[in-house]
Amino acid sequence: MVTGQGVVTPLGTGVDKFWAAMQRSDCGIREVQSFDTEDLYITIAGEVPDFDPRERLQSKQLLLADKYSQYAGCAAHEAVTQAKLEYPIKDSDSYRAACIIGSGVGGLTTLEFSYKMLFKENKRATHPLTLLKAIGSSASAHVSIEYGIKGPTFGLVSACATATHSIGMTYRMIREGLVDVGLAGAAEASLNWGATRAWQAMRVLSPDGLWPFAKKRNGTVLAEGAGILMLEEYERAKDRGAPILAELMGYGMTADAADMVNPSIDGASTAMQQALDDSGLAPSDIDYINAHGTGTMVNDINETRAIKRVFGNAANKLSISSTKSMHGHCLGAGGGIEAVAAIKAIGENYVPPTAGLDEPDPECDLDYTANTGKAREVNYAMSNSFAFGGLNAVLVFGPPPA
Amino acid sequence: MDEVATKIIEILRKNMKDPSKAVALETPLSELEIESLDLAVIVFDIEDTFGIEIPYNANEEVEAFATVGSVVDRVKGIIAESKASGAAA
Repeated sequence: MVTGQGVVTPLGTGVDKFWAAMQRSDCGIREVQSFDTEDLYITIAGEVPDFDPRERLQSKQLLLADKYSQYAGCAAHEAVTQAKLEYPIKDSDSYRAACIIGSGVGGLTTLEFSYKMLFKENKRATHPLTLLKAIGSSASAHVSIEYGIKGPTFGLVSACATATHSIGMTYRMIREGLVDVGLAGAAEASLNWGATRAWQAMRVLSPDGLWPFAKKRNGTVLAEGAGILMLEEYERAKDRGAPILAELMGYGMTADAADMVNPSIDGASTAMQQALDDSGLAPSDIDYINAHGTGTMVNDINETRAIKRVFGNAANKLSISSTKSMHGHCLGAGGGIEAVAAIKAIGENYVPPTAGLDEPDPECDLDYTANTGKAREVNYAMSNSFAFGGLNAVLVFGPPPA
Repeated sequence: MDEVATKIIEILRKNMKDPSKAVALETPLSELEIESLDLAVIVFDIEDTFGIEIPYNANEEVEAFATVGSVVDRVKGIIAESKASGAAA
């Protein structure tokens, strides 16, 4: 069961702000503010606006951490608060709690800063916290310390499927009886000059906007943030009177084993099929798919074909959207933020839009909820994440048990 | 073949599955079994070799990357532009 959720996004911090912004089809992609874009031809990104870690974080350790850990800390705080979980978790329960919070690249900006100091400014040493800030497991470690989580705690990595894999693995741990409760998701804060240079060299970024499934789409736009769910075993959640937002019903994961950048229909469709089979639902039961929808030429066509393969005729009755059109591509954190969008869609019976979809690509011919969101009954929703390397993860959510 | 063309073909060969294949100016890049990621590497290599910047986006069909000759022409064009702007400054 999902008993709490939290986000930090380019559309704002906190689920309420995030959801309200998507209902207005707002776009969080803007000219970069946080670093100098000198010599770059990509100068836009989805940066988290007005982020003040002091608003939600009390611990001094987290206030000194890399921004990616702070994003995780803020999103986790929102999820734990909503779930009405008492913390620190009492000792008898603490080993039955998990904290699986990943990141695509961890504290990359900390590393960039320290290398700049060493190689450019000729400093003789780096800041003593550099290593702890940079490691990809620091977000999960910090959050475990905040709440007294003593069971399975680590960061998991699968590029842009990181959060989805983290949520899926935590779900499996609960289902298999290893733990009763877990915080799961990912955080990313890798927007900096060097990383933008590296992405720019791959030639997959758009210089002017992220328009999934549109004819005019010309690449993705980097973004940052965090998306974290509180997952909990049903009986336990019910016994302690926790709010149940949704049921996580299915999880699928595959690898294309083919190419680092060109996705395959087989890998994506099999992951979706596995998630459906795991949930026990039929394709026609799904009302909404939060698509991976990166706005690259290859992803959006491949994903459309994969959906058609799995859903057949039912594909035409689906509402689909890529909320990346509004919050950008939050990389490792994307699947966590998008899982929250899928859960909200169920809770509110409302499908958030694909913004900027004025004219669809003729090869992308499903209902992508163009430009404005739509009120419709949403009982079951799927969230897709397909990462570089051909790493695929898919979640299926349903309403709280009656 | 001039120096720019020779250097570009050398760079292409490094990224071809079968470098022994014949490469002429009119050869389409598609015939050289160059995939999107290879093209990013090739563009990087060309930029580095000639000290220029090539605006190339893998999401767009770019005329300049249709054949070996069109790449050579594009690179020559950019070299000429950067020389002209350098002279103006």
